Amino acid sequence: MKYPRTTKVIPLRQLPPGESAVIARVLGHPDHVHRLEEFGLRGGIKIEMFRAGNPCIVRLAGNKICLRADDLLHVLVEPIAA
Amino acid sequence: MPTTTEKQTITVALIGNPNTGKSTLFSGLVGVHQHVGNYPGVTVEKKTGQLVFAGRRFELIDLPGLYSLAARSRDEMVVVDVLLGRQRDVAAVDAIVCIVDASNLRRNMYLISQVLELGLPTVLAVNMLDVAENRGIRLDLACLERQLGIPVVPIQANRRTGLSELKTVIARLTAVPTTDSARLAPSSVTPLPECFEREAAQLEADLNDGESVANHWLPRSLARRLLLDASGYLQETLLGSGDGRWKQRLQAARERLAAADCPIPAIETSARYAWVQQVLNGVIVEPSRYKTTVTDRIDRVLTGRFWGTLVFAAVMLLMFQLVFVWAGPATELIQAGTEATGEWISAHIAEGALRSLLVDGIVGGVGGILQFLPQIFVLFAFLAVLEDCGYMARTAYLMDHLLVRVGLSGKSFIPLLSSFACAVPGVMATRVIENERDRLTTILVAPLLTCSARLPIYTLLISAFIPDMGFFAWLNLPGASLFWWITLQGLTLAGLYLLGIVAAVAFAMLFKRTLLRGQTPPFVMELPSYKWPSLRTVVFRMAERGWLFLRCAGTLILAVSILVWAALYYPHDSSLSHQEQQRQSFLGQAGQLIEPAVKPLGWDWRIGCAVLASLPAREIVVATMGVMYHMDDDAEAGDERWSERLRTVTWDGTKRPVFSVPVALSIMVFFALCAQCAGTLAVIRRETNSWRWPAFTFTYMTALAYVAAFVTYQVGTWLSC
Repeated sequence: MKYPRTTKVIPLRQLPPGESAVIARVLGHPDHVHRLEEFGLRGGIKIEMFRAGNPCIVRLAGNKICLRADDLLHVLVEPIAA
Repeated sequence: MPTTTEKQTITVALIGNPNTGKSTLFSGLVGVHQHVGNYPGVTVEKKTGQLVFAGRRFELIDLPGLYSLAARSRDEMVVVDVLLGRQRDVAAVDAIVCIVDASNLRRNMYLISQVLELGLPTVLAVNMLDVAENRGIRLDLACLERQLGIPVVPIQANRRTGLSELKTVIARLTAVPTTDSARLAPSSVTPLPECFEREAAQLEADLNDGESVANHWLPRSLARRLLLDASGYLQETLLGSGDGRWKQRLQAARERLAAADCPIPAIETSARYAWVQQVLNGVIVEPSRYKTTVTDRIDRVLTGRFWGTLVFAAVMLLMFQLVFVWAGPATELIQAGTEATGEWISAHIAEGALRSLLVDGIVGGVGGILQFLPQIFVLFAFLAVLEDCGYMARTAYLMDHLLVRVGLSGKSFIPLLSSFACAVPGVMATRVIENERDRLTTILVAPLLTCSARLPIYTLLISAFIPDMGFFAWLNLPGASLFWWITLQGLTLAGLYLLGIVAAVAFAMLFKRTLLRGQTPPFVMELPSYKWPSLRTVVFRMAERGWLFLRCAGTLILAVSILVWAALYYPHDSSLSHQEQQRQSFLGQAGQLIEPAVKPLGWDWRIGCAVLASLPAREIVVATMGVMYHMDDDAEAGDERWSERLRTVTWDGTKRPVFSVPVALSIMVFFALCAQCAGTLAVIRRETNSWRWPAFTFTYMTALAYVAAFVTYQVGTWLSC
């Protein structure tokens, strides 16, 4: 599915609550990235910020996932223009 | 070719993501005919159930809920072992039932992709179709069945619909017994790329070569997992550390794959999700925007900073109210029952070793365990409700930002909270923490939190030695009449609670920085949809855990109680007075032996004895002090109140009283920090599967308690001079 995207890539923690974005990349230790991918958090997936902060809560296909990123793990997203 | 004698029982494994209704389906299929235990050597719950249909016997194994078969956590390792037929006490699996959440099919199918690679007869049970429909997701299950090539059965586990269809399919799948050769079929389908498959085939051939590592054929699926599992668990358990030849060989294969643009582990997720995309093509129609659900509306309140924290505090308060106040009448009833039993035995059995053993050793020991049962059951019931309705995950979210500062995650919260009632359920609850280091840290500090067994000694000593007056009046501060409710006694009790919390925080930080240092994997957790807790699930879980508590903690407490009784009774000389008999008993001798060590804490040998005797459980110290300071010859003393009696006790041969405020504080500080609880040590052994950790817990806590009690007494004495 294609979403209208802005070209800007921002860290997930900068995504305001209620806004949607497409995950651009997950950066970090390969094992940790792998684990997030198994949870469904992977490139090309649309998410919506439910509760910002660290840990944050994101909505992913109607489900909610709580995630705490740290210095070693970065989720980069492309916000979807409203 | 192995002979295919028909097995008496057909083994069916039930697998799925957490929160898919797996346990509900399991209960629906087997009813009460289930058995809960542990897989040998690991602390992973093993749930099995028997059922008979289509004229055959089936054994259903409820595997732990997981997101992937990558063998990193204990749960994942056990599941891989069971599915590959490597688990010692589980028969080879004949068929697999995969349960998926229809509202979250994409992620659920990732695990299915891994399971299908095993090549075993598999059926897909699609649950929660109503939730999916509510969210506006449309599914074409007939199309899914065609594209997957395995039977697909729609079910509604909580309403028990679709179960008979599921059973029929299971019966059909297992009509032809699975032969060993079928289990080892080399060409089960896989979405992994060709270059990977070539390496896997080569590895399979190597594994089964002349220098074979096992005495039976190792299948392709095992070779695949061996290649993918970079953590080294499978390699170590299967091939041993050996001379490192296999490690080198696997490393070389992984390097070749990385060079061929198939990096491990990334290739697994990309290949599997591509497969999921293909399989779900034309099956699933998702709404362009997911509408706000009831769960979202509740979460807007419950995960918020202000209202969320407020509701959280109210829930915790309710829990403490339930555990400490509402379980009270039942506890008192059990205490009264214990006393009555002791008296009845005293009245019917002649004085002697047998009577003493029955009354002081067994009835006392059993009573000591039983009086905690109401609290434990209330606690377990409350936790089961929190877990089943989905609030548990929210408490972990809310508490994460606090616990992360200590080096733990939100998942440690519930175990630590439970420890305020009793460390045994607290340690048992640490199973939800996947990260081994976090789990171990939580286990090690949980016994520092003030459990209810410490309250008897606190209330006894506080009421006896801490002046019953306002804090402000005591300090001669203005406003004493306004703050009358801040009493010295209350502050002392609060201080002891705080001492436990501060010690737990400090040691958690210490352990995470030294002993248990290491890279922390990311904290990701699913927040399941809210639902009404099912009475059935709650009662089941409460009974399960309660029984475990009795079996694990109870037996050891009883055994140690009997040992302590014997140490106080023998060597027995009935011609001696009560006091003389105590002095020359093994325990009395031990107490006098350690007197030099406990004197700096302000204790005489009798307190030393009482502390030694409280090894099985802290609350025993109260009863033992009662025995030690009992004044037989003084008839009136029997009616005196406990606390008044303690104040009159003097050091042997002098008129100097044993107890003073510093001594009372030193005893309380010691009990706040010590590990005098056989039940906790037993459950730590069980949960860590070695004696090393309980031994470590006992050592560090006793050392800490000793030093703290020493400082308390010395500083207290110096201040009161």
